[in-house]
Amino acid sequence: MNTLLLVTILMPLAGSLLAWGGALRARRSALVTTLFVLGMAGTLCFSYPPQAARYAATELRWFADAPLDIRFSLALDGLSVWLVGLTALLSVVAVLVSWDAIQDQAARFYRLLLVLEAGMLGAFAARDIVLFYVFFEFTLIPLFFLIGIWGSEERQHAAVKFFLYTLAGSVLTFLGLLAIVLWASPPGRWTFSIPELTARLMVDPLPHGVQLWIFVALFAGFAIKVPLFPLHTWLPLAHVQAPTAGSVILAGLLLKIGTYGFLRFSVPLLPQATAVCMPWLLGLSVGGILYGALVALAQSDIKRLIAYSSVSHLGFCMLGIFSLTAPGVQGGALQMVNHGLSTGGLFAIVGMLYERYHTRQMKDLGGLARRLPVLSFFALVLVLSSIGLPGLNGFAGEFLLLLGMFQQAFVSGSQGLQVLAVLSVLGVVLGAWYMLKLVQQVFFGPLREPAASHGPPVRDLNAREVAALTPLVVFMVWIGVAPGFFLDRMGPTLDYLTAPAMRARCEMSNADGQIEIGSAGCDRDQFAAAAVRVGGAARTGVQTTVSRTQD
Amino acid sequence: MTIQTLYLLSPEILLVIAALAIYLGGAFLPEGRKPVRLAMAAILAAALVLGLTRYEGIHFGPLMLDQLATATRWLALVFGALLLPMAVRGIREPHGSEYVGTFLLALVGLMLAGSADELVLLFLGLELISIPTYILLYLGRGDAAAREATAKYFFLSLLASALLLYGFSFLYGATGTTELAGIRDHLSAVGAKNGAAGRLVKIAIVLIVAGLGFRITAVPFHFYAPDVYQGTSHANAALLAILPKVAGMVVLLRIVAGAMPNLAGEACRLLLILALASMTFGNVVALWQNHLRRLMAYSSIAHTGYLLLGLAAGLAAVPGGNGWDGLTAVLFYLAVYAAATLGTFAAFAYLGRDERPLEAVEELTGLGRTRPLAALALGGFMFSLTGIPPLAGFWGKLAVFGSALGVGAGNAVSPMGLWLTVITVAAVVNSAISAAYYLRIVSTMYFRAPLGTPRAEGGPAAAWTAGICAVLVLLLGLYCAPLWSVAADVACPATIAVPVEGR
Repeated sequence: MNTLLLVTILMPLAGSLLAWGGALRARRSALVTTLFVLGMAGTLCFSYPPQAARYAATELRWFADAPLDIRFSLALDGLSVWLVGLTALLSVVAVLVSWDAIQDQAARFYRLLLVLEAGMLGAFAARDIVLFYVFFEFTLIPLFFLIGIWGSEERQHAAVKFFLYTLAGSVLTFLGLLAIVLWASPPGRWTFSIPELTARLMVDPLPHGVQLWIFVALFAGFAIKVPLFPLHTWLPLAHVQAPTAGSVILAGLLLKIGTYGFLRFSVPLLPQATAVCMPWLLGLSVGGILYGALVALAQSDIKRLIAYSSVSHLGFCMLGIFSLTAPGVQGGALQMVNHGLSTGGLFAIVGMLYERYHTRQMKDLGGLARRLPVLSFFALVLVLSSIGLPGLNGFAGEFLLLLGMFQQAFVSGSQGLQVLAVLSVLGVVLGAWYMLKLVQQVFFGPLREPAASHGPPVRDLNAREVAALTPLVVFMVWIGVAPGFFLDRMGPTLDYLTAPAMRARCEMSNADGQIEIGSAGCDRDQFAAAAVRVGGAARTGVQTTVSRTQD
Repeated sequence: MTIQTLYLLSPEILLVIAALAIYLGGAFLPEGRKPVRLAMAAILAAALVLGLTRYEGIHFGPLMLDQLATATRWLALVFGALLLPMAVRGIREPHGSEYVGTFLLALVGLMLAGSADELVLLFLGLELISIPTYILLYLGRGDAAAREATAKYFFLSLLASALLLYGFSFLYGATGTTELAGIRDHLSAVGAKNGAAGRLVKIAIVLIVAGLGFRITAVPFHFYAPDVYQGTSHANAALLAILPKVAGMVVLLRIVAGAMPNLAGEACRLLLILALASMTFGNVVALWQNHLRRLMAYSSIAHTGYLLLGLAAGLAAVPGGNGWDGLTAVLFYLAVYAAATLGTFAAFAYLGRDERPLEAVEELTGLGRTRPLAALALGGFMFSLTGIPPLAGFWGKLAVFGSALGVGAGNAVSPMGLWLTVITVAAVVNSAISAAYYLRIVSTMYFRAPLGTPRAEGGPAAAWTAGICAVLVLLLGLYCAPLWSVAADVACPATIAVPVEGR
């Protein structure tokens, strides 16, 4: 029993009890709490041994009545450990960017923020299906209030839409998760333990028809959360109306619960259904990539632009995960973290601009690079990371996941997938286009500021704001330069989680006679091993490219 | 009726004596005094007697004192103690003592209905809930709306009682006994499905479900509820939303699950239809409501749907099936629902004024700032009724949906299992729909600027009741194992009595 993880998750709750009183006291205690949590989460991340599947596990009986065995079970593996770290990091950022922006009912704001942090940490660390769902669903309540009380003009509508949309999907997910428990449990005992169910279903998968139904049920909730095109319609409204901290957390973390859910439940527990649905999901992902990018291109509101770019980027994550190849999955998982860092940071930048100029319109702003050099520097780095410049994190993730996608498309020889793979590259180009358009318009060119902004003169970033953005940039460079450190620790877990689905996909292709490599047919383990080798090669490739660019 | 029976019924007898004393003594009370203390003392004494009474076995003449009975009696007393002090507040003089005495009699009705093992006593118990309720409704508010509500409830309740009695008579005609144990033995010995007796029993089931459907506000027997809730006080609405519903569910459990195990399939189909209709109708119509008590009436109809789904799952469960037991889930859900609903009405009552109770959703505007604690509690009840973790309502829904889904899972796919699965999907979609109107209350409280501080003059009793319910809802949400094990113990005898081959 390792209590560090448990304490990490309970800490924000304790902190939220302390965040009473005036605004200053509330935000100070929130900052101290999140920093403590960051310290503990950092310890967990960097002491994580690369192969561990159940790191820092805690298990308590919770709801145990003879056949039912629901436990308060927490643990980390190579997938969740980074998301826990990201949550702790972005929570600090969220507190820092709200420092001056939130004056109204500040104590309540920080209490909700801390409760939200606890919910997300719990969702990523839960190793029991019910516990996962409890945290997953619970995150809705604080975010509902954060958007509805401190959001912009249409906040009430946005909050309710966000809540109902997400709830409608997640109740079906809940049913799907229950169905997995009911079908896959050993006789006489209902187990809700995710590792145990994963292990059981790897040996003895469910009947295909059942898998498909459950997959659809799980899809309903996770795809809305991601959000996968065309279920994304709640996102722009919620992102734009939310206060800055809400947008940072929503984009940076909450969307990841969707992709995390796919990786944690759909893919490993329902491998055959995953293999069958893969082309459809890839199609939706590419649809989202292109649609999100095109709509982003048409935006004049910076916050909306970034919101739509999230649709596009999350499409890339899903593309990687459902390419069902080792590099693709690793790229997808890495891209989850990357998107959290870059888009979280970009929303923070939008918030900082808004605090200074009270506008989010691109046409009102221009040439800020000379006026606000520090802010512009950070914005530029975040944008470059977001479009995947080699040397920053975005490149490592996108390269790997596109590699995976191409590998899947051209190894399986399916023409549809090949078209999708090519189209997804178009998404990268579009991504660079809208982001650079944003940078060009707002930060370069002739200086343009909204006339006569009342209040104090506009100043560049202060120390607090720099402190909020610096850690993001540090991690972006770190992941960009040495993705191996992170991939080595993600790899084994991801391989374990996706191996059955890869095998199922391979068997399916075999049956269709599509597979071309090694005409003797694909030995599953050989295929998996080959995929892992390619992944390794790609990783070295990324590193070499990076070092070359640095030379 | 032996001396022992009287001894075992001593809590009920105590309450009846107290009620009579209050009726008679009320005339001697000075103007403006209401005998609440005496009534509370009687409830406390009844609880003490209930806790101290010792007996062996469960069958005593017309009584069946199993754990279901004990739990129902305790629930009645606790509910009474929580509701009575806040309920008498709005009663006009000189009716205070009448209201209090009648309230005690209604509690006795629930206690009797929960412990009866015999059709006549069962009916007596149910009537002892209905008849006092007419008076309570009338005394609750004196205006025209209240009189209309009372008349409506009175006539429809009579119709429901008649249907129930008619059903009982068919049951008696088919089996020749009024004792539930005797009915069960007869039905399992003869084989209930064949012959004229079998047809009679099927008619009996339909009539009994219809009669009890009125008490638990199942669609299509619900239509009095919105008008009656709207036309009465918050406390009376809480009484109506909980007391008859608990009694109806317990009696349904006793008769359908306990006494007619051979007909579980038929009953299950019937209940599933009612469940689907109740939850869909209740939730969809609630979306358009703007009157708080009307909205809660439709919400209560919808929750009946979930309860019936759990009951159907309990009836359809395969022998040796594991996991959530449907009957346990129903009892658990009932307790959780009662806590959240009572709390909601108590909070409404607290926020209003004696002469002008809270009516419209808009009156809650900005409560998050002006009355933060009341808003917090009310928000908690709303999220619990929606079923959002970590509040108690979530576990209720988990148990009900889990038990319903469990019938369809596994390798032997039965048509009944398939139906249950489909209706469970409908039920979760319904709970997403229900979120829309519960959230409307929450968003009105928190997302709009206050119009002015509401005069929260409902009195400390209502505040205490709301507070206690809020704490319960939260604590049970965080750790519900104790209540679950009580519910499992309570449901057990009701299921053990069922012969395995019939289920």
